[in-house]
Amino acid sequence: MTASAPAEKATPPPTFRPPSDFPFYLGLGLLSASYLAVIVAMLLADATFTTPGHLLEALRSADIRYAIKLSLLSCTITTIMSLWVAVPIGYLLSRHQFRGKALLDAILDIPIVLPPLVIGLSLLILFQTPAGRYFQQHVVQVAYEIPSVIAAQFMVACAFAVRTMRVAFDQINPRQEQVALTLGCNRGQAFWLVIFPEARTGLLAAATLAWARALGEFGPILIFSGATRRKTEVLSTSVFLELSIGNIEAAVAVSLLMVLVAVAVLVIVRVSGVHLGKVYHL
Amino acid sequence: MNTGWKALLGTLVVLGLCVLLLHRKAPAPTATTQAPGKVRQHLVLYCAAGLKQPVDEVAQEYGRRYSVEIEPQYQGSGTLLSSLTVTHTGDLFLAADQSYLDLAREKNLVEEVIPLARMRPVIGVAKGNPKHIRGLDDLLRKEVRVALGSPEAASIGRLTEELLTKSGHWERLKEAAVVFKPTVTDLANDLKIGSVDAAILWDATANQYPEIEAVRVPVFDKATKDVLIGVLKSCKQPTAALRFCRYLGARDKGLKTFAEHGYEVVEGDVWAERPEILFYSGGVNRVAIEDTVHEFEAREGCSISTVYNGCGILVGQMKAGGRPDAYMACDVSFVPPVADLFLEPQDIASTEIVMLVPKGNPLGLRTFRDLARPGLKLGLANPEQSTLGALTKRLLEEQGIYAQVWKNVKTSTPTADLLVNQLRAGTGSLDAVVVYKANCGKLGETLEIVYLPDKNAKATQPITAAKATKCPHLVARLIADIESAKSKKRFLSKGFHWVAPEPKQ
Repeated sequence: MTASAPAEKATPPPTFRPPSDFPFYLGLGLLSASYLAVIVAMLLADATFTTPGHLLEALRSADIRYAIKLSLLSCTITTIMSLWVAVPIGYLLSRHQFRGKALLDAILDIPIVLPPLVIGLSLLILFQTPAGRYFQQHVVQVAYEIPSVIAAQFMVACAFAVRTMRVAFDQINPRQEQVALTLGCNRGQAFWLVIFPEARTGLLAAATLAWARALGEFGPILIFSGATRRKTEVLSTSVFLELSIGNIEAAVAVSLLMVLVAVAVLVIVRVSGVHLGKVYHL
Repeated sequence: MNTGWKALLGTLVVLGLCVLLLHRKAPAPTATTQAPGKVRQHLVLYCAAGLKQPVDEVAQEYGRRYSVEIEPQYQGSGTLLSSLTVTHTGDLFLAADQSYLDLAREKNLVEEVIPLARMRPVIGVAKGNPKHIRGLDDLLRKEVRVALGSPEAASIGRLTEELLTKSGHWERLKEAAVVFKPTVTDLANDLKIGSVDAAILWDATANQYPEIEAVRVPVFDKATKDVLIGVLKSCKQPTAALRFCRYLGARDKGLKTFAEHGYEVVEGDVWAERPEILFYSGGVNRVAIEDTVHEFEAREGCSISTVYNGCGILVGQMKAGGRPDAYMACDVSFVPPVADLFLEPQDIASTEIVMLVPKGNPLGLRTFRDLARPGLKLGLANPEQSTLGALTKRLLEEQGIYAQVWKNVKTSTPTADLLVNQLRAGTGSLDAVVVYKANCGKLGETLEIVYLPDKNAKATQPITAAKATKCPHLVARLIADIESAKSKKRFLSKGFHWVAPEPKQ
C-alpha cells in the first residue's frame, strides 16, 4: 500500500485489489492434475491390453471369484485385527513417555521397512520353529492355509494402522482428556467417552489404509501362503499367476477388477464414515 | 452401553461374520467328484509357475480319473526351492529346469527324479522377425533392444552367461542388454508387450506365445536342459506320488499335453496304473537284490516278476523269444550273446570263485591242480546251464586239466546253492565243491573256504535295461536302486565286491 499522501486530489484513491489467486490454483491444479493424469493414463493403458471379454471371463472363472471373496474377507479381518492392535499402541505412544520408547518405535517400523518378501520368509521360518510347529499342530495350521494369508496381511497392514492411529491421537488436544479427568472420569472413561469418538476420522483413515494395504499385499503371501488355487489365492496372487504364464490380458483384467473392487469399497467406507461422523457431531 | 463396548462388539460381529463366510464352503482346489467311501489321497505339488498350463490340465484330468487331489503351488522355481529348504514339507517338486532339481538333490531333499521334457535356449523375437535377427551378432546391433535373464536368479540367465562366455559374446552382449529380468516369463512378457526386440529364452517358453518367434542358434542347440519332476524326501505317500509322476511322464498321457503346449518331450514310459516289469536275473544275485527289488515294487506300486535262474538258461529263453525289461547276469560273459536286446550294461558287483571243503581241509586242497588228483569226489556247476559251471570249465581248460578234473566230478548241478547244500549234508559223499564266495553265506561249523590263487577266478555281475521296454524310465529307476548305497551294503554283506561307481549318499 504505497500510493497515498502527496497526490490526494489528483487521482482517486485506488481500490485495494489483492493479486489474483489464479497462479496459485493453476500451480496446484497442474501438479495435482499431472499425478491424477498419470494414474488414469496407467489404467487406460491397461485397458488397451485387455477387452471386456477378458474381464467377463475373469469374473466368470470360479477361481477368480474365490480370489475376490478371499481378498475381501481376509482384508476385512486384517483391518479389524489391525485396529484392535493399533488403537492401544497408538494411544500409549501418543500419551505416554517411558523408557525404551524410541526402541519400541523403531521395532514398530520394522514391518514397514522390511521388503515384503522378507516378512513372508520370516513368518515361514517362525512357524517352522519348535514353538511354531507346536502352535500349528495344536491350535491351527497356518503355513500355506488361509490363516497365513491373514497373518501375512496383518503383519504389514497393522504397522501402517499403528502409525496412523498415533498421529490421530497426537492431534487430539490432551486438555479435553484432562478436563474429563477433573470432572471425575477415570482414564478408561475419559478414553472411551472423549478421546475415542474424537479419533473417528483417524480410525477411518487407519482402517482404509490397512484395508488397502492388505488388498495389495503380495510378496509375503506368495512365500508364506503359496499360490494354491481356491485356497490361498488372493487377487494379487491371481495377477502374478496369470503373468507368470504370459497371460498378460488376463493379468490386466484381474488388475482392473482389483481397482474396481478397491475403489468401490473405499468410496463406500469413506462416504458412510463421513456420515457416521455427522451423526457423532449432533 | 459405552462406546468402547460398542466398538469392540461391532468389530467382533463383523470379524465373526467374515470367518464364518470363509469357513462355510471348504474350498476344493481341483473340482473333482469324490468316489464315495474312499479316502481321497492328497498330494502337494510345488510347481514352477511357467509350467502351470500343462500341469494344471494333467493334474485335473488325473484327479478326476483316480480320485487323487493334486494341489499345485505355483511359484518361481528358486522361490519354491527356498520354501522347501525351510519347511521340509510337500510331496512333489516340478522345477523349470534341472538345475533346481540338482540343487534340491544336493540338499538331500529329493528321492526319485523323472524327466518330462527338454528345453534349449533360443533368441525370441516378435512374430515375423521385424528386426531381421538371425544370430547372436545381430543382437549387438545398435537398434536392437535386448533383454537377458539375470544369471543370479534365472536359470536361462545362468546358461546364457555360460554359453556366451564360451562363444565370446558375453561381455559385449552384457553391455548391450537394456535389461536383466529374474525369470524367463518376464523376458517373454517384455517381448510380448514390445518393450524389447529380442531376448534369450527357452524354446518351450517362446512356443507358448503366439506373439513370439524362436530363432535357433547353433551355439545353443547342443545345450539342452531337462524339465524334471522329483519326489520329495518329505513325501509321506511315495507310491501315490510316483504314480502321478508316471502319469505326468507317460508318453500317452501327461507328455501328450506337454507336447501340445510346445514342449519337446522325452520318450516317456507307456502308462499303466500298475506297470509290470519282467526282470531276468542270474541265481547268484538273488540274495543281494531280492530285498531291493521288493522295496522298489512296494514304493513304486508296480509288479516285478523276477526270474532267477542259471544264466545259460536265461540266455536260452531270450534266444527263444523271452523279452525281459531288465537283465542282471551272473557274469559279463553272458551279456554278449543277447547284447542287441539291451543298452550298455553297468557292472555292479563281483564275487570270487572258491573251493569249499570240509572244516580243516583234510585233503590239503589249495589250487585247481589239486582237483585233478585221482580218486577225489567233486561237485561242479553244470557248464551248460550255469555261469559258474561255464567259468569253472574255462578256468580248468586254461590250465589244461579240464578232462582230468571232470573224471572226479560226482555231481553237476544247475545252481551253486545245491552244491553247498550237498557238501553240508556231509556223510563224505563229496570232498570239495567249486562255488561263488557269495554262495557261502551260511557255512556253519563244518565247512571252510579255500581261495584260489587264480586272478581270473571271479564273476562280475552286470545289469542292463532292454532297448524295447515299454517303461524305460521305471526300469532305469530300478537299476538306480540296485546301484544305490543301500543296495551296495546288501551286496557287501553277502560276500560280493562292489564294482559299480561309488553311490552318492
